[in-house]
Amino acid sequence: MKKSSFQKCLTFAAVALAASAMAADTVKVGVLHSLSGTMAISETSLKDVLLFTFDEINKGGGVKVGAKNYMIEPVVVDPASNWPLFAEKAEQLLVKDKVSVVFGCWTSVSRKSVLPVFEKNNGLLFYPVQYEGEELSQNIFYTAEAVNQQAIPAVDYMLAEGKKKFYLLGSDYVYPRTTNKILKQYLKLKGVPDENIIEIYTPFGHTDYQTIVAEIKKFAAGGNACVISTLNGDTNIPYFKEYANAGLTSENCPVVSFSISEDEFRGLPAKELVGQLGCWTYFMSLKTPENSKFVGDFMTWIKDPKVTGTDFKVSGVDPKGRVTCSPMNLSRLGVHLWKQAVEKAGSFEVDKVRPALIGQKFKGPAGEVTMQANHHLVNNVFIGETLASGQFKIIKTFNGVAAEPFSEKFLK
Amino acid sequence: MATSFSQSVKRFLLLLLLAGLFAVVARSHGQTNEARAILTRAAQSEDTDAQIEFVKQLIGAGDELVSRALSAWRVGELYIHTAPDGAKFPFLLDAQQDGAGKAKGISVIDGQFLKGADGSPLALLANELTALDNSSKLRKAIKTTLDLYAIGNPVPKMRRDAVIKLGQEQNAEYLPYFEARLKIESNPEVIKTLNEAIALTQAVNEDTAIRNAAIARLGEMRSVNAIAFLKDMEKSAKASPAKYGPETAKALHTAVLAIENYQRWGNLVGTAFRGLSTASVLLVAALGLAITFGLMGVINMAHGEVMAVGSYTAFMVQGVFGGGLLFSLFGKTVSIKGMGLTGSGFDSYFIFALIASFLTAALVGLALERGIIRFLYKRPLESLLATWGVSLVLQQVFRHTFGSANVQVNSPSWLSGSFVVNDVLFGYNRIFVIGFALFIVFATYLLLTRTSLGLQIRAVMQNRAMASCMGVRTDRVNMMTFAFGSGLAGMAGACMSQIANVGPSLGQSYIVDCFMIVVLGGVGNLVGTVTASLGVGVTNQILEPWLGAVLGKILVLAAIILFLQWRPNGIFVTKSRSLDG
Repeated sequence: MKKSSFQKCLTFAAVALAASAMAADTVKVGVLHSLSGTMAISETSLKDVLLFTFDEINKGGGVKVGAKNYMIEPVVVDPASNWPLFAEKAEQLLVKDKVSVVFGCWTSVSRKSVLPVFEKNNGLLFYPVQYEGEELSQNIFYTAEAVNQQAIPAVDYMLAEGKKKFYLLGSDYVYPRTTNKILKQYLKLKGVPDENIIEIYTPFGHTDYQTIVAEIKKFAAGGNACVISTLNGDTNIPYFKEYANAGLTSENCPVVSFSISEDEFRGLPAKELVGQLGCWTYFMSLKTPENSKFVGDFMTWIKDPKVTGTDFKVSGVDPKGRVTCSPMNLSRLGVHLWKQAVEKAGSFEVDKVRPALIGQKFKGPAGEVTMQANHHLVNNVFIGETLASGQFKIIKTFNGVAAEPFSEKFLK
Repeated sequence: MATSFSQSVKRFLLLLLLAGLFAVVARSHGQTNEARAILTRAAQSEDTDAQIEFVKQLIGAGDELVSRALSAWRVGELYIHTAPDGAKFPFLLDAQQDGAGKAKGISVIDGQFLKGADGSPLALLANELTALDNSSKLRKAIKTTLDLYAIGNPVPKMRRDAVIKLGQEQNAEYLPYFEARLKIESNPEVIKTLNEAIALTQAVNEDTAIRNAAIARLGEMRSVNAIAFLKDMEKSAKASPAKYGPETAKALHTAVLAIENYQRWGNLVGTAFRGLSTASVLLVAALGLAITFGLMGVINMAHGEVMAVGSYTAFMVQGVFGGGLLFSLFGKTVSIKGMGLTGSGFDSYFIFALIASFLTAALVGLALERGIIRFLYKRPLESLLATWGVSLVLQQVFRHTFGSANVQVNSPSWLSGSFVVNDVLFGYNRIFVIGFALFIVFATYLLLTRTSLGLQIRAVMQNRAMASCMGVRTDRVNMMTFAFGSGLAGMAGACMSQIANVGPSLGQSYIVDCFMIVVLGGVGNLVGTVTASLGVGVTNQILEPWLGAVLGKILVLAAIILFLQWRPNGIFVTKSRSLDG
């Protein structure tokens, strides 16, 4: 009796040892994106592309640290579009699962709520979605477009096109408000008088755009007007419907939207948006060998999604009508940059990976990016015109724009 | 019989269409060939002055390829090709490049790709080609030509937009072209904008008399497009009176006043219309609830989801009329083949969608009443919880069937666009909603006052026990009333698909507004519902331009709360024993 229990103990220890030996060949990586709730529409695509990238790296032999190859093992959690839950899930990833790095967050408010968690536990977060800047944490790397990589080039383009009047329209939350505050200062620096700038916000889910469109129509009557839109989500549909009904077009008053990428386009009536502008650091229509490989590989992967080298079960991938977009590209770039930095540092430790990340380069689908000392990327910026197919035709390229999170540095 | 008739109609229409097409092609062909020939001659010429003359001849030609070639020439990207027989003609490079940066050449003469000896398209590298020279004088001529190009556009709307844009540049060089176009223009709207553009351009003329006359004309025309410019001019005239002289200052003042006055009226009418349309949206959404909650006293939290049933029905009818439908039912993918209609055949789907959405929503309401609500008439709090549960279940059903993303319900062409009267915009979809609201209110009124069902409904509502004693089958009346209210909600959902989004959480965004309207109007009173939605809609639209959408909405909500403190039973109080009980 005693003996057998001792034997059991032995076997158990042996199994545990074997398991830990196996576990040593994988590295845990957190994925923190909402898979339910209002943001699920956008964030699920990022979860998909992250798993795809892990698979891509594992197929190529994983992450090489020293003489060993580590397979990336994803830990996917669902913060359910609930901001406090983001903090809880982040804590769980860092403390319980002990992941080496986390890729996640979409809205600025979710990033703001996990930031203290990452700073307290000295974690590492990669943030991939265009944002308002004015933030820099030791523990976050922002592959996202900063204001001077999206809003400023777009406004520069409009100014070069001879636009003199700017209608800043946005959803009522931190990103549009901060971006528009910066844009207003910038436009003033460029000599646009106050009376030619109008700033308007609507609540989330607003559907009645009659008054605003009538106002835009009046505003545009004098010519040389444009709309800078930071409207988020499905409010864009009633807005653009009303806009088209009022006889406004991209010819007499173009709209440049910062929150509509190819992915959001899937839910919008393309017909009503044709000719309007978008500004991102990546478009699916880019013609580079890296991009055609990325798009091709991703489209193949979603048909049979798996993460090579792990037992991870991929679920909830919808293969219908998929596209790639800037946040997806930036999510993937983050993973590759992290992998290179880990290999350079020869360790998964955050304090060693952080310095190794600075100066890291990667030739992505939209050209080469470099991680700067300010935790943001040097990236190419493109302005595209929407086509009925839901793609963008690139009409202007700004090469090698260095992201600057703090507006006081470029508002001079 | 019917098919052969419709076939012959179709054939006739097709013939007409073809004939029209040929006429257009024949006409434009002659013009474009000429324009392309002129451009080719310009490219072949060695003399800059001759080139400028040729380029000027191209004004208003309206050919897309020529305008592309001119834009390319301006930036030095128009190239010269020498054919094997020694003939020289211009071509441009296709925007699509291959991996090596090479692109196909497009001949300006016929728009075809340049072909090599073997007949396959040539792949050319930009910096190995001979580009046509240009000088600053020529570039300026090209720019003028390009700017004026759109005046010749065959589509009146494009012409109008082009004229508006050119007028705003106030470039005196354009005047002769405006005047030339005015002589041959037949579209009244374009004529109006041409006159406006001429006046706007002359308003900066050196000659005081011409200037003042032009300003006065702009005022008479009530030119909304000119107001910004006139105001600027008035400001600078005030700052330095010597610049324009007192006469002009006076003319400016009169013109600005006239236009502003006109705009004020326009604003008033516009706000009234928008208020009416917002009110109609609220009314359409709330009327169903006014019946189920107002008349029957069922706190129906699933009202919004019943609306969504209507919206999704519209989506399905659209699929059946158009390119088919794909959704999953209990995990199985169901595919319905569409009729593949286009044009007005497809556009008529919406009428059927309204009817179908009434029926499906009424059925859902019927099932809801029979299955759950009839057991809970005496227990309002439990019916609140139960219907809330139903609303969650329905939302999840939508999610599983149609996906969590929004679905697209296209607007039929007769519901998109707008017409403009005196610069006030009337959107067709908004007019439709107003008309639809009138229609359903009227229909409900007729049902309640002119039919025996209506009589019974009112009887049951006022005193259930007494009505029952008089032989009214209250059970059946309840069922019919609830189904009718749900049907109205379904129709509202179909109607909303034209102005808002259709998604699983559609109902959530209306439920609060609906209850608010019904409570504000006074529970159990349809006139109250109409009045309340009018009041809220118009107030909302009056406040929005001043305070913005966010603050406007907050203020309206605060006002409603205060109002209900003063009159807790709403605008119209219905005295009824059953409600009191």
